[in-house]
Amino acid sequence: MAQAQAVQKAQKGSGDGSMTSGSPVNPMDWSVGWHPLFWGCGLIMLANVFFWYWNYAFMFTAGLNSASPEFSMYYMTLFWGELIVLGLFSGVWFGWLMRTGRAIQGQECSPAEEVRRIAILWSLIGALSVSLYMGASFWPNWDGSWHQTMVRDTALTPTHIPMFYFFFPLSAILAIGTYVYGRFHIPALYGKDKGFPWSFFLLISACVLECMGVAFNEWGHSLWISEEIFSAPFHWPFVMYGWLASGMFAVWGETILRLYEVEKIEEEANSEASLEPNMVAD
Amino acid sequence: MAEGTTTVTDLADAAERQKRLELKELLNKKYKWLDWKWDLVFWTTAIFVVAAAGDITKQLFAGDWDFWTDWKDPQWWPVITAFATIIIPSALQYIQWAAWRFPTGATYAACCMFMAAWVGRYFQWDLAAHYPMNFVWPVSLVCAGILMDWTLMKTKSFILTSLVGAHVWAFAVWAYNYVPLAAFLQPAHFMDHVITVADVQGIAYIRSQTPEYLRMIERGALRSFLGETQYVSLVFGGTVAFFGYWVGQFIGRYLAVWPIRRYLKTL
Repeated sequence: MAQAQAVQKAQKGSGDGSMTSGSPVNPMDWSVGWHPLFWGCGLIMLANVFFWYWNYAFMFTAGLNSASPEFSMYYMTLFWGELIVLGLFSGVWFGWLMRTGRAIQGQECSPAEEVRRIAILWSLIGALSVSLYMGASFWPNWDGSWHQTMVRDTALTPTHIPMFYFFFPLSAILAIGTYVYGRFHIPALYGKDKGFPWSFFLLISACVLECMGVAFNEWGHSLWISEEIFSAPFHWPFVMYGWLASGMFAVWGETILRLYEVEKIEEEANSEASLEPNMVAD
Repeated sequence: MAEGTTTVTDLADAAERQKRLELKELLNKKYKWLDWKWDLVFWTTAIFVVAAAGDITKQLFAGDWDFWTDWKDPQWWPVITAFATIIIPSALQYIQWAAWRFPTGATYAACCMFMAAWVGRYFQWDLAAHYPMNFVWPVSLVCAGILMDWTLMKTKSFILTSLVGAHVWAFAVWAYNYVPLAAFLQPAHFMDHVITVADVQGIAYIRSQTPEYLRMIERGALRSFLGETQYVSLVFGGTVAFFGYWVGQFIGRYLAVWPIRRYLKTL
């Protein structure tokens, strides 16, 4: 049975003629170009479930007073753990992207391989989209319910710790990493000679400015209004920075246009190849 | 002269037929790698970023009015909610119309925001903070989205949609959500005062961190008992929604579509 499935998969892979030196299987298989989408979104969801249960279990018993020993035990440990995990992840991922990117720099890639790389870029963008949702909708809801009904304590609260210090920086890391991937792997769009794309400039700006907005927001809370009013002006920069994430649609748009170009290149190559035997016959 | 006119018309018709044939051919063209998976991934993953942008805009511009039934007053709620909620649907309306001529962007955004709001309210307000859902239910924008998309489909004009659709939006958001709200606006006799059921909820479910709220709710016209304030607010809501619509158009045009294949600097 397994052997039959393997044969079917191999036939499917070679059936469309995309067997090239750069891409040994069909780039459009879910397990080829799209697999980072499932891994990325799955890991983010897993992290989110962990944070949700952590807060659900400890927020009332250990999260009400940031000066308490329980808070240090449960929440400061979580805070430092997040920063260490994100630091390690970004160091390893960026290092890998730079090393593998430099290794392939200047090499030509087949159309099938470029399609696979664009699918990977889309997968990373999909994971970033989920991370942005966690940071801009899922956790702000809890932040609202916590501050408006429980307590505003410090910049480090049970809801701030996952939102501000995990999902916000994670989004920035994913946005920067996705650009670095495109910079080396999709040179036709994001190569050095093209300049810095506006699409990624806006997307990265959105994520980085959200992190910087935390500082402004907490400063505002410490000096201005202690109680939580969600529609207070010092919350508004979060909204406007969030709008910059619309650059994600520009990334989708420009990669779709590139896919049409790749299809055309492949079509022309195939038509030239089909003409060659006729020319010999003539 | 007549012959000349006929010739020009014929040429125009022929060009139109040719264009239609080309479009039809393009529609049925078989691609090697461009298949349904790209559509599926796009429409699915875009849900999250649209939900994020729409929900954060609503929460931080109008969240206080959306979080509680006793804040859904006839004076401020129809104005602020209409402005805050139209922005991202307007941006999506532009994107989907520009890309595919789909008059579906506002409805798509409204559905994404509906999902985000209900997930947030259920997991964070009901399960985690123990507020009942009938106190913290969010507004639904789906009906308003359908009507605004219908306006664009019929007028094929963003200007007309902003003029007509924004007022339709403000009215539809109020009318559609008035149905679940009406029950909470019924009068109740509570501690020797006649107040609304929503007021009773606000007193019964403590919000310890929000002293400002008490003053604002006192002033917030629940006690105007649906006089003409309501209708003035709706018209003004449509006016501010018009401006919100163009904020959304700016996002769609200049932050989502304009940057496609544009670069900051050529090295």
